[in-house]
Amino acid sequence: MSQLLIQILMNGLMMGLVYIMMALGFTLIFGIMRIVNFAHGEFYMLGAMAVMLLFSTLGINYFIAVLVAALMVAVVGMVIERLLLRQFVGRELNGMIMTLAIAITLKAGATIIFGPQEMSIPRPVSGVTNIAGILIPNDRMLVGAIAIAILVLFYFFLRYARAGLAMRAVAQDWEAAALQGIRPQRIYLMSFGIGCAMAGLAGALMAPIFTVSPFIGDVPMLKAFIVVILGGLGSLPGAVVGGLLLGVVEAGVATFINTTVATMISFALVVVILLFRPAGLMGQSR
Amino acid sequence: MNTWKILAGLVLAVGLVVWPFVIENRFLIHIGTMVCMYALLALSMNLMLRIGQLSLAHGALMGIGAYTSALVMMSLGFPFVVGFLLSGIVGGLVSLIIGPILLRIRGVYFVLLTFAFGEIVLLTFIEWVDVFGGVNGIFGVPRAQIFGYVIKDRSLSYLMALAMAAGGFFLLRALYRSEFGAIMETLEDDEELARSLGVNAMSYRLAVFVLSGAMAGFAGGFYASYFTFVSPGEFNFWTAVNLIVINVLGGIASPVGVILGALILVPLPELFRDAVQYQVLFYGLALIVFLKFMPDGLYGLIRKMRGKRNDR
Repeated sequence: MSQLLIQILMNGLMMGLVYIMMALGFTLIFGIMRIVNFAHGEFYMLGAMAVMLLFSTLGINYFIAVLVAALMVAVVGMVIERLLLRQFVGRELNGMIMTLAIAITLKAGATIIFGPQEMSIPRPVSGVTNIAGILIPNDRMLVGAIAIAILVLFYFFLRYARAGLAMRAVAQDWEAAALQGIRPQRIYLMSFGIGCAMAGLAGALMAPIFTVSPFIGDVPMLKAFIVVILGGLGSLPGAVVGGLLLGVVEAGVATFINTTVATMISFALVVVILLFRPAGLMGQSR
Repeated sequence: MNTWKILAGLVLAVGLVVWPFVIENRFLIHIGTMVCMYALLALSMNLMLRIGQLSLAHGALMGIGAYTSALVMMSLGFPFVVGFLLSGIVGGLVSLIIGPILLRIRGVYFVLLTFAFGEIVLLTFIEWVDVFGGVNGIFGVPRAQIFGYVIKDRSLSYLMALAMAAGGFFLLRALYRSEFGAIMETLEDDEELARSLGVNAMSYRLAVFVLSGAMAGFAGGFYASYFTFVSPGEFNFWTAVNLIVINVLGGIASPVGVILGALILVPLPELFRDAVQYQVLFYGLALIVFLKFMPDGLYGLIRKMRGKRNDR
């Protein structure tokens, strides 16, 4: 029994890490630009598509392919931010409709180019590692390790890098930040790029584990959304806690009951939290 | 001038009623019916946009209406009229129950909240197979029947949809021109002003939400009997997104804009019938262009052009 529980916990943690990568970008973009990025799942999908092209079709080394894929998604995100989103910074409702439009367009574009079918990518690593009787697939362990590395990197970036500090300053009060000589426009561009890169990275990492299709972004988007509400919209630590919580609870409920019920419970949780603690579990209401 | 306007209105009204009997093209009549149904739905969304609370639950509210009508007729054996009336009443009732809780929340949080609510409703339709038929939904919903006469004919279905859309249109127009409409405007721009004048803002918001929910419910009731089946896939969050798209494209500021949006957007997919992907792509691109360059929609554009002409 305890074996099973630990197995569930491990699976949950692994998915939780992917959710966190999605949710951090989503919440970063909201915190800084006040834009709810409904196209976030599409950037996940683009990352997976890019890794499929680079790794599976062109035969480039997997790790390089993942990095290049994340960079490509960041560039696409920054172009979109510059051309389409900048005028909607701070205008929440219209910005939300614009990201919906971007989501529709990207998904349709990918369907036209790649077709609607599900494609699979060869696994870069295979096999299972047995740690004290708990079986962990190597490919998932790799995803977990890379995700943790990225999260640590991201933490130090926000904490110590000048650009990271500037981002936090703009999130807190963009006018005060602008008075200090920080140009909010550049911060918007950068944070949208970073947010998209993290989504793209999550997609690129998960592509060999799941299949690839133009529609794979929908579910991670939904999860990111739940995680972000759990942790508080705009809160980075909240996204981490929310992601781990959702991953573990979901793995548990899905094992013992079923996945539809797991989804239903998570949405009910979202409603309750929005109603009673709109700032999320971690956030302080202003 | 005024007589001309009345005359033009009369011609338009007669034209809208008569054309399906002159042009007996089943396909065109079907498109006309869909335009009217979506016009009604988009008008119900327009109410929400007017008070600045974008709802992603309208697909679910339409679904609640559709399932209500289907179940009342099929499980309880009531005639169509009862099912149809209840589809709107239940749509409004659900809004009345959830409204006081949901409407306290504003802005993005309201959007996300209605989104989550919509997903829960949808998952209930899917999970509760005994009642709602699961993913497959319910087949064999009876057709509309008024005074014992079954509406099988497409042109009669169209007339029913036209009547519903026209009802919604004139209701909203009257509403927006009344004192109620003026108060609605302050709810979006400056709720404090409304409250300082002694307006109970919450009850106005609730009234708008209930009316909007009832309209979506009626559209659902019509849908169930027109297609003779209901399935959860038709009532997801993309339905609500489509309604927002219609509003943005046509113009939120006036019911005329909403009708214009439905008139252009609903037939649009038929132009791209052979390639569904291109249709969706075009949809997305059109929305992007409109949001970026024509934030007031087509109606706003028309008004602007008219205004310029009048200035000269």
